Amino acid sequence: MMTSYRNHLSIMGLWLLAILSIKPSLGAGLEQTGECFESRDGMSQVDVHESAAGVVNVKCSPETGGVLWWGDPFEGTVPMGDMEVEADYWHEEAVVKPREPQIDRNKMLTICSMACHNGVYVPIPYNKDARPLKMHLDIIPDAMNLKHGKGGVWCLDCHHLVDRTKLIDNFGYSVSFNQPQKLCGKCHGQVYRAWRDGIHGKRIGMWDQGGKKRWWVCTECHNPHDVEQGDRNSGFAQLAPEPAPNLPKGMTNADHERMHHGPDKGDSTH
Amino acid sequence: MPNQDKSKEKESRPTTRRDFLRGAGNYTVASLSGAAMLLADPKPAKANITWAEHFQKNYRLMTEEEKQEAIERLETRYSEEYGKKVTVDGTPSIEGVLFGYALNIQKCIGCRRCVKACVAENNQSRGDEQQIEWIRVLRMEKGNFSAEDRDQHGYPESFGVQVGGNAYKPAGVVLEGQHYYEPEQVPEKDAFYFPMQCMQCEKPPCVKVCPVRTTYRDPDGIVVIDYNWCIGCRMCIGACPYWARRFNWGEPNLPKEEMNPVTHYLGNRPRMKGVVEKCTYCVQRTRKGRWTACVEVCPVGARKFGNLLDPNSEIRKVLAKKKVFRLRADLNTYPKFFYFMD
Ligand code: SF4
Ligand code: SF4
Repeated sequence: MMTSYRNHLSIMGLWLLAILSIKPSLGAGLEQTGECFESRDGMSQVDVHESAAGVVNVKCSPETGGVLWWGDPFEGTVPMGDMEVEADYWHEEAVVKPREPQIDRNKMLTICSMACHNGVYVPIPYNKDARPLKMHLDIIPDAMNLKHGKGGVWCLDCHHLVDRTKLIDNFGYSVSFNQPQKLCGKCHGQVYRAWRDGIHGKRIGMWDQGGKKRWWVCTECHNPHDVEQGDRNSGFAQLAPEPAPNLPKGMTNADHERMHHGPDKGDSTH
Repeated sequence: MPNQDKSKEKESRPTTRRDFLRGAGNYTVASLSGAAMLLADPKPAKANITWAEHFQKNYRLMTEEEKQEAIERLETRYSEEYGKKVTVDGTPSIEGVLFGYALNIQKCIGCRRCVKACVAENNQSRGDEQQIEWIRVLRMEKGNFSAEDRDQHGYPESFGVQVGGNAYKPAGVVLEGQHYYEPEQVPEKDAFYFPMQCMQCEKPPCVKVCPVRTTYRDPDGIVVIDYNWCIGCRMCIGACPYWARRFNWGEPNLPKEEMNPVTHYLGNRPRMKGVVEKCTYCVQRTRKGRWTACVEVCPVGARKFGNLLDPNSEIRKVLAKKKVFRLRADLNTYPKFFYFMD
């Protein structure tokens, strides 16, 4: 008897599935349009849109505008093969998101390199002392915050002398903005090796051996001009946190957990 | 006993076992015919399916066919309830894989994105009435016992739970974790952050205590729950030393538009009132090769995940090259969630 019910049920299930040829809706009550950022606000922006039928490319936090969820982790990426990274990534499919479009959002790269820094016009500075340059504050508002290598590093240690669409490594070879690791790794070798191993930095996509991965490059997370954000001594710029969990029912504040205990602290709240 | 009750007792005819059985029989027949009526009427699919769901076995004891039936039933019910095509996956463990997780506690900035990403991926209940989050991020204050404290006061008596250090060595922390921190910006200068979630213990105390064995360790090391067999006794919540499990006290609130339609039977399929849930290492993703939602979202890349049995995996490289510890290692739960520092 039970068996016949079961059959009946499964047939009904199929039938229901058939009539409910449901049209998929966008699976996000979170932000569905507009722009949000991945790791660095202002320098890793993504536009929210439908990437496949019924799937958004990213879901963003309505509170902070940070990306919370990738529908398609590989959107906008290019193969990393071009990068010639001598990495041990199991010859798997590795992709990256090019940095140039982010850096050139306000057409800085294009305009600057065409108008003045075209390889001809601008004279090479005589004074090669490391210092922030008080020019271009209009396009690089935080130019005076230059703080890298405890004051020992300045513009022309990383930027190409005449071709401003390029970076340089410490031998003077030009490096694309899309491959900052070739430049950064020259000083930060230990971090670079950890990054190649996948234990520093970030990857999204498939965890399995041989699976496709999107690697994140240095400047997607770090601000090379003000790495430690002043003297905070953290490589990652501050950002707004997501909201705290709800307080347990009936509790009106969280003072209990801000209590300092111990000698000389009294039981004062923080 | 009040008099009233006594008089009632006198009046009522003593019920014999046979009477009782007859009554129960009638009841069964009645409910079965009710069910037959329900089954004959195709409209209330939910009722039919719920009925069948009540009679299904513990997921682990089901045959492949029964599993498939259970999954189809759920797909039908969810698709109707949420107004979109919902898939329920039953992918079993991958052979040769033991999942492990590592979190760089030095990198974490306490942004709580992992918490929210997890909610978006795993269909937890949200809203003021019942908010369930599988990940908690604790804010810890950096601090020291001063030399004077040490010399003048000896063992700091009123310190409550002391985290790290001992009476004569500076402890790292003089404050227990804070859940409800809300600064404008993170990370703060004098704090570090400590995310916690299910550690997928190799010897999970939660599994030991479950009276109906509905929570169990799968061969890839993920501790899963068959929500349909959970009786809501919450023994596992008491047994888990890592505060990893959450209970649906009420009907979960999962808005249709926000529901993630890609689900796994043992993972993020919608839950019901009265059952326990917890992190499953995104079983619906990881058994298909994809990283968990929290690994992907972490803006500083503090979270690493992979196959502990593969010596080339990122997780194994973390274990080989970094300073690693496990939370409450003294409990012999053998968590597969590691914390590390550069
Ligand atoms: S952390 Fe808690 S819920 Fe997770 S396996 Fe261990 S005891 Fe069970
Ligand atoms: S997302 Fe990463 S940095 Fe943010 S709280 Fe979670 S683990 Fe920490």
